[in-house]
Amino acid sequence: MAREQGGAVEKENRPGFWRSSLNPWTVRTKNNPERVAFVLHRVTGFIILAFLLAHILETDSPVWSQIVYHVNGWAFWNHIMGIESGLAFRIGEFIVAGAVLFHAPNGIRLLLTEFFGVGVGRPGDPKPPYVPFTFTAAQRQWLYAVFVVWIVLWIIAGVIIFT
Amino acid sequence: MSSGKASSVQIWQYITAILLIGLLGFHLLERVPWIWGVSTMDQTLTAAFVYSDYVHFGWALLLLAYVALFHGLNGVRGMLLELRQGRMYTATINALFWIVFIVFAAIATLTVVKLPAYP
Repeated sequence: MAREQGGAVEKENRPGFWRSSLNPWTVRTKNNPERVAFVLHRVTGFIILAFLLAHILETDSPVWSQIVYHVNGWAFWNHIMGIESGLAFRIGEFIVAGAVLFHAPNGIRLLLTEFFGVGVGRPGDPKPPYVPFTFTAAQRQWLYAVFVVWIVLWIIAGVIIFT
Repeated sequence: MSSGKASSVQIWQYITAILLIGLLGFHLLERVPWIWGVSTMDQTLTAAFVYSDYVHFGWALLLLAYVALFHGLNGVRGMLLELRQGRMYTATINALFWIVFIVFAAIATLTVVKLPAYP
């Protein structure tokens, strides 16, 4: 069943850019953890980049506050940190921490498989039931480990951020 | 504007990723309170603590900013180039990449170079 989206026809078996690479809710997760990781890697990357740009401006505040507001830079830094100790900012920090703590371990898995070429199994003749060799190779176990490590580290980060 | 070979740009994405593991790992450990003998994360964000970080590890923080900016912006650049193709579109995306990179890298450099002394 094809449907119109932004002037382009999107077929169900060939989803467009948004559905296939940036929307985690449209991923069929059954026996598809690599696709889940692919979409999460992109979404968390966006979250981290948005934070990074804001973080660079924030950490420059001791410098630019002197120019813009003519105040003591470090006094202004403490003022900003006071604002950021509020609950809304802590929730934001928790979301960014979750993004980083998924993106980094999954990035290490991608480095190992794509850059160093390990954990992807040996190529061979396809035989029924035609399961790709990469799906039975070590990278699949590493991916499950990434999900476990992510949740454990995110809980620890939550304890640090909210206490 | 030349965008470089896709493969060489991707290799830089992997190289920056390897650097980020160490640099960002260190940066995050700076916020873990019990490593530094304090009780809360907020205590690792006081002016005195942060100033000390800049004095001792300013070069590492600056390298982290450059590497993270390249890695993050290049990742988004790759996604935007997936969206559509075209010589003009590619040149525009590449120009935007370098403009944003240079502006934010300059701000990061200014932070370390012009940081006021802690009273």
